[in-house]
Amino acid sequence: MDTQFIVSMLIILATFALYIWIAVYNTAKQTSDFYVAGRGVPPIFNGMAIGADWMSAASFIGMAGTIMLLGYDGLAYIMGWTGGYLFLSILLAPQLRKFGRYTVPEFIGDRFNSKAALIIAALCTIIISFTYSIGQLSGSGVVIGRLFEIDAKIGTMIGVVLIAFYAAFGGMKGITWTQVAQYVILIIAYLVPVIFMSLHLTSNPLPWISYGEILTKMGELDRELGISEYFAPFTNGTKWQFLALMFTLMCGTAGLPHVIVRFYTVGTMKAARWSGAWALVFIGLLYFSAPAYAAFARFILMTEVAGNKIAELPAWTQSWIDTGKLGIADANGDGILQWLELQIANDIVVMATPEIANLGVFVIGLVAAGAMAAALSTAGGLMISISSSFAHDIYYRIINPQASEQKRLLIGRISIVVATLLAGIIALNPPGAITQIVAWAFALATGTFFPALVLGVWWKRANAKGTIAGMLVGLAVTLIYIFSAKYGGFTVLGIIDTGAGVFGAIAAFATNIIVSLSTRAPSQELQDAVINLRYPEQMVYKDGEVYLNDGSSQE
Amino acid sequence: MKKIDKKVADAYFREKNTYMAIYFAIWFLVSYVMVAFADSLTDVQFLGFPFHYFMGGIGALFTFIVLLFVNAMVGDKIDKKYGISEERNEEIGSNNMINH
Repeated sequence: MDTQFIVSMLIILATFALYIWIAVYNTAKQTSDFYVAGRGVPPIFNGMAIGADWMSAASFIGMAGTIMLLGYDGLAYIMGWTGGYLFLSILLAPQLRKFGRYTVPEFIGDRFNSKAALIIAALCTIIISFTYSIGQLSGSGVVIGRLFEIDAKIGTMIGVVLIAFYAAFGGMKGITWTQVAQYVILIIAYLVPVIFMSLHLTSNPLPWISYGEILTKMGELDRELGISEYFAPFTNGTKWQFLALMFTLMCGTAGLPHVIVRFYTVGTMKAARWSGAWALVFIGLLYFSAPAYAAFARFILMTEVAGNKIAELPAWTQSWIDTGKLGIADANGDGILQWLELQIANDIVVMATPEIANLGVFVIGLVAAGAMAAALSTAGGLMISISSSFAHDIYYRIINPQASEQKRLLIGRISIVVATLLAGIIALNPPGAITQIVAWAFALATGTFFPALVLGVWWKRANAKGTIAGMLVGLAVTLIYIFSAKYGGFTVLGIIDTGAGVFGAIAAFATNIIVSLSTRAPSQELQDAVINLRYPEQMVYKDGEVYLNDGSSQE
Repeated sequence: MKKIDKKVADAYFREKNTYMAIYFAIWFLVSYVMVAFADSLTDVQFLGFPFHYFMGGIGALFTFIVLLFVNAMVGDKIDKKYGISEERNEEIGSNNMINH
């Protein structure tokens, strides 16, 4: 066993011990605690928990590598995965909080007073969260497998056991505080290598400013090599694909049930606004750093790895070549590695760069622990969403309304274990790359929940028939576009499968509006409930009048 | 419960919507419009970055964060102006749950 293995393992075990201890310490006792943490989480910590929930294996492990390979075109992920927070914190979260339900399907069911809408929303939640969690589990498998030098499949199984354990026994409250801890670990793990690289390359400890000069230098190197400049726009796809991907990621952000449910953990509409703002600060710390990480990694590869004799490459190259993610081919047979002879998969950039830059065993171990925190925290939140959709929305509200609290908790825990195992089985042979699976989950959320929620909150005329039709059409259009773009080569304006959400959303909005207008308006009571969402908690809309609830007796 | 003039309630809603429209106009400008014109901004330098890259990697996200904090603060200010007390909101909010 080498030093790196021992150090990485100790760091990972120490962080896991911390998460499990927090989960056990906060073992949920009541249903309301299990799902929404009893609503006592202050905005700043809720912001961190949203951040950990939000930043998955795709953000931590995949994003910087994607930007490194796509250049400017990869920045669609930076803007797309953050711009959606405006939809969330301004357009949806405070209003959903005032409506006062536990879950997104429950909101849809009660807003439209329709059990069919509730069931469809619960099924969409399960489909989206399940798709998303496959990516997380296979991500954790890659990290565990690479680290402990075991097969990624065994790594995935270890991840399954861990997630099932703390999601089932901690519930949301365990997860909220666990996720605060996970956020702290993952952000430190991400920032330390970026700051070290920034100091090493530019002598400036602030990577967010210093990578500008690296971009310029790389532009010169690229021109010498006769390839398009790193920062040149739209070299890896059309402008329309960039815009469609950005739109899909933004709307998907605002439609992901496991993220929205976080906003139910705050006390008021005001707290929901502040939670969203804090969440974006904490998310931003990583997202500002990812393009810097990408630029530094590419520059180090271009200047410190390329140009070496292939026979004298450092030890790290061999272990990554063994994973099949790094390819070195001496195309011109001169015994020297040229930049164009180096093939690197985007998923290993974040993990391998600390090794390449020789940042030491501690930093390498820390990055592995951070990657695990990112994968596990998101998977935990996804599992809670799946279990609440099943145990609460489908089982309790539809199948057995008489179920006792213990019975519902039990069903919730069983559904977490079953969902984790199923996702784990699929993750053993994932149907696509991690980032691709995650992008599909976003496209599905964009095509189903985003239109249903926006119209449900802002348009009192939206009714059950329109929303059901909208969700089904949006789901179908998104799925058909993903499959025909990916397998059939069918594209519109060069928009590929990852940008499919734009078509789903257009179809769902149009269907919802047309069907709602051509069928009967919702009851006056429901329309009043929608108007009521315009105002803060203290203002109540009733029978065409607005009342201020100042504690004085009613009428 | 005290009845509020409908005009006052409407003014509250209108004021919030006006700000919302401003936020989303800025949001659209720094993300979609900047991307649409990215190819003609590559030669402009800003803080050592090509301007389009600066907007994509730093500028847009920074603007989003600022907008969210402005929204949170302006929201609080409007609430205060219309005599909304957060303690009362918390009290109502905690009862505003359907308990199962």
